[in-house]
This record gives sequence, C-alpha cells and structure tokens, in this order.
Amino acid sequence: MAGRAAAVTLRRVGYQGEIVLVGDETTPPYDRPPLSKSVIVGTADLDKVIKPALETYAEDGIDLRLGVAVTAADATARTATLSDGAEVAWDALVIATGCAPREVPIPGLDKPGVFRITRMDEALAIQAVLASGPKRLAIIGGGFIGMEAATAAVAHGHTATVIEAAPEPMARPLGLAVAEHVLRWATDRGVEVLAGVGVEEVLGDDRASGVKLANGEIIDADLVICAIGQVPRLGLAQLLGCAEEAGGVRVDASMQTSVEGVYAVGDIAAFPSKWADEDRIRIEHAAVAIGHGQTAAEHIATGEGLFEDLPSFWSDQGDITLNMVGVARPEDEIVWRGDRDLPACTAFYLRDGVLRAAMSVGDMKTLRGVRKLFAAGVSPSADQLADPDVDLAALAAAG
Amino acid sequence: MAQVSIGSLSDFPEGTPTFAEADGTRLCIVRVGDTVHAICDDCPHAEASLSEGDFIAEDMAVECPLHGSAFNLESGDPDAPPATEAVQVFPVTIDGDDVLVEV
Ligand SMILES: Cc1cc2nc3c(=O)[nH]c(=O)nc-3n(C[C@H](O)[C@H](O)[C@H](O)COP(=O)(O)OP(=O)(O)OC[C@H]3O[C@@H](n4cnc5c(N)ncnc54)[C@H](O)[C@@H]3O)c2cc1C
Repeated sequence: MAGRAAAVTLRRVGYQGEIVLVGDETTPPYDRPPLSKSVIVGTADLDKVIKPALETYAEDGIDLRLGVAVTAADATARTATLSDGAEVAWDALVIATGCAPREVPIPGLDKPGVFRITRMDEALAIQAVLASGPKRLAIIGGGFIGMEAATAAVAHGHTATVIEAAPEPMARPLGLAVAEHVLRWATDRGVEVLAGVGVEEVLGDDRASGVKLANGEIIDADLVICAIGQVPRLGLAQLLGCAEEAGGVRVDASMQTSVEGVYAVGDIAAFPSKWADEDRIRIEHAAVAIGHGQTAAEHIATGEGLFEDLPSFWSDQGDITLNMVGVARPEDEIVWRGDRDLPACTAFYLRDGVLRAAMSVGDMKTLRGVRKLFAAGVSPSADQLADPDVDLAALAAAG
Repeated sequence: MAQVSIGSLSDFPEGTPTFAEADGTRLCIVRVGDTVHAICDDCPHAEASLSEGDFIAEDMAVECPLHGSAFNLESGDPDAPPATEAVQVFPVTIDGDDVLVEV
C-alpha cells in the first residue's frame, strides 16, 4: 500500500522521471484491510479494493512489474536486481516490503484447509471455501485480524472459534479495560473466544479437521485460519546497509533511511513522531503507510515533505467499527465517555494526565472533536472528557 | 456529460445528506441555503454510503458514517484519514424548482 501511494503521488506532485513499481504478488496493488473483512465473506467489490484501475499505471507512466521480486540492491551502483533477471537503475529507491506472516512451530499448519489472510490470493481462497455454505472456522490468533475474520464470518452464518494464547485478546493495542469491551461485543455476536491457551497442533489426515489445544481440548473445524501476527520484511534494507531501530528500518521525518537516496515506508519504517514518546516508532496500519508513501514521494520530487500525521486506524468487526486516533499504550489510564457500551462510546487514553489517544465506536462527533484537540494541542481534564455535554471541538477552538 | 433532474428543491432538506441517483450514478446531495451540492455517494476508502453520514456545517463537508473522514462539498477532499482520495464532485444547476446534476 505504501509503495503504491509513493508511485501514484510522485506523478501527482509533478515528478517527471521514470517510475518502476515492483511487487512480488500477481494481484495489482490493492487495499489490504478489506481482506479480513469483506473479501473473505464475499461482499467486497474487488474493483474498489484493487485500485487504482490497471490502466491508470500506463496513463501515469508507471512501469508496473507484477509477480516479480527485488532480490538484491546496490546502494553504490544504485541498481536493483529483479527475480526475472532484469536490472533497474535508480536515483531514489523506496522500500515498502511490508510484513511477512510470522512463522510458528505448530505442527500441521502446512495441511490443506489451513489459511493465512495476509494476501489477496489467500483471502480469495478462504472466500471460495466459505461460499459453499455455513462452515466452522478455527482461528488461531485473537488480534484485530483474527477477530475481524471471526466477526465477519459469524455475521454471514458461519461459526467461529478464536484461540488466543495471551490471556486477553487485543489488550496490547487497546489496553485491557477497552479490550474487554470489544471482546464482549464479539462474543455477544456469537464468536467463541478461548483465551490463555495455545494451539498444540492442527488435526486432520489429508486436510485440516480442527485443532488440538494445549489443554487437550479439540476444536472441530472445516477450515483453520492462522492469524498469529507478522514480522517486518527487512531483508532488502539490510542488504543495503540501512540502520535499524525498533524492529524496523530507521528513517528521518522525510522517510529517508541512513543510506542516501533510500527510503523506507509503511510497516517496515521506524519513524519519528511527535505523537509518540519513543524516538522512533513502527506502526502497522494503513493510513500511516499511505502517508509515509506520500511523504517519500514529495521528498523525492521536491526535496520537501515531512511525515507529521496523527496516527490513526480503524478495525471493522462485523457491524462494529472501532476508530482509533493517537498512539495508545496498554498501561494508559482510561477515561470513558458514554456508558462503555454500544451503540456509541469513546475511551480516552491518558498518560500522566495528558490525552494521548482515543478509541471511539459509533461516536463520530467525539472522534472529530479529538482530532481537533490534537491539532490545537489542547488536552482537557479527565472530567471534561468524561462529560458527554462538554463539546470537545469547542474546547479545541477555545485553545 | 448530461444534465439529469434528480428532483425538486423540497426533496432535499437543508443540511441533511440525501441519497439520489442520476443515470446510474450514486450521489450524496446536500442543500445549504439556496445552493445544492452533489458528490459521489460511495466513500473512496471503504464500503460506506456518504448520504448516511452527517453534514458538518463549519467544514462544509459530509462525514463518512463508518470511519469519520469528512469530504468537502466543493473540492471533494477528505479532511483526515483513513480516506486519502477525494470523492468526485458533480456540478449542480437549479432551474426554477428543478435540481439538475451534470453526470
Ligand atoms: C488482513 C489485514 C487486515 C488489515 N486491516 C487493517 C485495518 O483495518 N486498518 C488498518 O489501519 N490497517 C490494517 N491492516 C494493516 C495495513 O494493511 C498495513 O499496515 C499496510 O498494508 C502496510 O503497507 P505496506 O506497503 O507497508 O505493506 P504491504 O501492503 O504489505 O505491501 C508490501 C508488498 O511488498 C511485497 N514485497 C515484499 N518483499 C518484496 C520484494 N523483495 N520484492 C517485491 N515485492 C515485495 C509484498 O508481497 C506486498 O505486496 C491490515 C493488514 C492485513 C494483512
């Protein structure tokens, strides 16, 4: 997503030089978030997910090479070598290699009937199975992606059991107090969640028939989805000698790495952000990835461009949509507005009494107010945040 | 480009995003005073109908009901993520009481 954003933005900001966009997937660039939501249950309009339209690349003079990997790059000669043997010379190189699914030593993950949801082809393979009638899903991993797949599946007449090794699913991104609510909304909708227990093996002779848990319990399933997380693909950046930090590639605010002319964007980038306490943070979310790609493009084309966006993300879990802005930490103090329940409520994350993030469900007005507070640099008191009669946008405007 | 009638002024309540269809094009219509604005009804970010969202008067924008990006009625530009692309804006003419959109 970040690579596509960089290529498309280069032309928008008037870059005249050659642009080569290389991707090892055979699907043209697409939005990844719908994979675990609408794509697996077959409600996605693929023409809107795979975008821009293929002809746009030719019109924009972007040389799109699909199904081809960059296997090596040289920062001195300024060349990249592709898996089809081609060599591409570059003045600027943008690395947007994203994340690879995490490897786990669970026996049986290689059986037919076990799926990942990291790529379009994988999501379409799940869609093909789900399309043939109600199925029982065993989902390994109770992160956002696993929970999205589970809630989408139950909303379409399937059953889903999520198995999460940690005691509280989604507690790391949301904090325990908020995660508990989100989890309950999912279980209220029929998702079964087994937390604090690992999967020992995937059962089945020639095809996955379920999973066996560490406590001996057996969960029968028609398909198993493994959504246990991902790791940044740093190989290419490492080959070029780019400095690393926070588990990613260290960049400056223009997304440039320690190697001149080489940029790193999206999931792999460890970038500076005034919204975070750390010197560099890495965020695996779509809007951040797109913003990174746009910033790198501007910097390449004009010599200017800084990534200063307020980080934000969303997660659609069936009919529930979580919208989060800011950078939360699991240990942040939580202040609620609304009665902590659907259809509308917001959780504010405070650190040392200062507003750092907000997670909102069904309350766009509060979310909009929070964005305005961040933009104005205003942090209301916990009492003001909790009081639904306090207009946050007005507080922001008052300064 | 064809001018298509989508109804009369009274079909579009002041400041309330309303769905309309013109020659198969899905539109989100907002009347502000004597002016009528038409933008594409489909959020460019995810599958959502903008006419189900709120009109934000101070920003002259329609807010997506799902993820909260607000699209300016004149430029089509979103104010904040997750949307990063503009929605298409369609020219509107008012002929007497008739609202015509150029699609
Ligand atoms: C199922 C799923 C659901 C998600 N849902 C949300 C959500 O709801 N909200 C949200 O904010 N974020 C979500 N995300 C996260 C978001 O999609 C990512 O943050 C974003 O895609 C990161 O963009 P990127 O460009 O860094 O990586 P990617 O989009 O992963 O793109 C990297 C591309 O590079 C290719 N590649 C890797 N190495 C090479 C090589 N050597 N040569 C050529 N090509 C290579 C990969 O195959 C891949 O196509 C979701 C992610 C997934 C997987």
